[in-house]
Amino acid sequence: MSLKRHPAQWPWHGLLVVILLGLAIGLWVATKRVNYEWRWERVPQYFAYRAEVPQDTPISGQVSAIAPEGRSHRIVITPEGSGPPVTVTAEQAQVAVGATVAENDTVGVNFEWRVGPLTQGLWVTIWISFVSGFVGLVIGLITGLCRISKNPALRGLAVLYIELIRGTPLLVQIFIFYFFIGTVLNLDRTVAGIGALALFVGAYTAEIIRAGIQSIPKGQSEAARSLGMSAAETMIHIVLPQAFKRVLPPLAGQFISLIKDSSLVSVIAITDLTKSGREIITASFATFEIWFTVAILYLLVTSVLSQLLFWLERRFARSD
Amino acid sequence: MIEVKHLIKVFEGRGQVVRAVDDISTQVAKGEVVVIIGPSGSGKSTFLRCLNGLEEFNDGQVVIDGIDLAESKTNLNAVRREVGMVFQHFNLFPHKTVLENVTLAQRVVRKRKPAEAAERAMKLLTKVGIAEKANEYPSRLSGGQQQRVAIARALAMDPKVMLFDEPTSALDPEMVGEVLDVMKQLAREGMTMAVVTHEMGFAREVANRVLFMDFGRILEDAPPAQFFTAPREPRAQTFLKQVL
Repeated sequence: MSLKRHPAQWPWHGLLVVILLGLAIGLWVATKRVNYEWRWERVPQYFAYRAEVPQDTPISGQVSAIAPEGRSHRIVITPEGSGPPVTVTAEQAQVAVGATVAENDTVGVNFEWRVGPLTQGLWVTIWISFVSGFVGLVIGLITGLCRISKNPALRGLAVLYIELIRGTPLLVQIFIFYFFIGTVLNLDRTVAGIGALALFVGAYTAEIIRAGIQSIPKGQSEAARSLGMSAAETMIHIVLPQAFKRVLPPLAGQFISLIKDSSLVSVIAITDLTKSGREIITASFATFEIWFTVAILYLLVTSVLSQLLFWLERRFARSD
Repeated sequence: MIEVKHLIKVFEGRGQVVRAVDDISTQVAKGEVVVIIGPSGSGKSTFLRCLNGLEEFNDGQVVIDGIDLAESKTNLNAVRREVGMVFQHFNLFPHKTVLENVTLAQRVVRKRKPAEAAERAMKLLTKVGIAEKANEYPSRLSGGQQQRVAIARALAMDPKVMLFDEPTSALDPEMVGEVLDVMKQLAREGMTMAVVTHEMGFAREVANRVLFMDFGRILEDAPPAQFFTAPREPRAQTFLKQVL
């Protein structure tokens, strides 16, 4: 009997650290060489910022007093003729005592937290991916079932749909969906974008589900049929639950791809994460920072999803 | 209970035509236990699968309890719920617990209430001696235990006929006995049974009739005492010489 000696692992861990350090230094040198000035401090405001809300005076007159009250100020305006004075509350006064103001002039501002374009874009990306993923799953399930149907019409349609979608680029599909189908059916751009993504992911899901169904041994449906279950009941209670468990990993990959592919809908002017990023860059010139931030945000969403599906997979593994 | 007339099943594939069931006519009376034996490839499993319409046959007639399977108006699902089947490889539903395996079809097909189905299931699981495993998944059970659950699952539908397709062939030798015991008990209780098996002891002890099949035909149909001591057919004689 011989025991194989395990070679030491630490030199390889060391090598990994050296390689990663090398990459980081390379990145730093490269940006130095193009004289790029990093301005990471500009990024946070695009997640959330404090907006100024102007406070107007309803009457014209003279500012007679400004009194602090808690964190804000009471600005008292006395009208020129007769009448009671009016008080406007603002966090910051923008007039001095004694100034003359006309009706609807701004006398002060309040501050309010607002979500920035990056957060908005991230939200749009998440919900567009979610909706199109859900619709795509339904389309994929139906198409997958049609694909293995005995009916030649259903099978033919399913094959045609799958081949059409898989054989053309998503970008082209989005354009066709928006400019052709969207115009004919008078669709909103968001609907067109979701539709194109759903059809795209549906075709791939259909093939995954078909493979899953066909991987379930024939004995399973025979046992169910021998108990008197109909074909539909067998599918719902016996085959699909087992197939779903098996296709979860490839399905997870497909939905992670969908989140990334959803960036393409920015070409039809849907303000998703990618388009928000592009818009911010035109305003801030922080090109590198914003693209890195956008990439990290995508990474965040996809890793959360992949953890979620991993958890689901382990739950399903209970019966193994 | 079962009446078969001129049943023909032909498999075609890769240029070969196999007459798996070749003009079989026989009948099984109520409460009768018929054991079908024969060499592998003789068409006995295919014949059995034709009896509940799991295999579509090409010609002939199968009448179960007065209902003709081949007639276009016949609801096959309605016939199948009266005909229980036990498979060589058990075919338990791996994503369901033992209890769920036995209750599922009761609820879906017989539309029984969950409590009623569970009660019936537990009664049957007790009968096959496996009630303590009700909440386990099938993968935790031995082959013999799985097959006993499969029998309980079929019985839960209150079938009029039970078909057994080589129920002990995939089992380790020491587990064959526990499954055969359950089947013997069923036979004693008067269940109508058609059993494809290689267990000659079971055939001798329990069967009312033994059908010997080869080349898709029934070559001999005799009571076990006569079949095992003095088979008429030369094919049956050589077969028995090899297996006994």
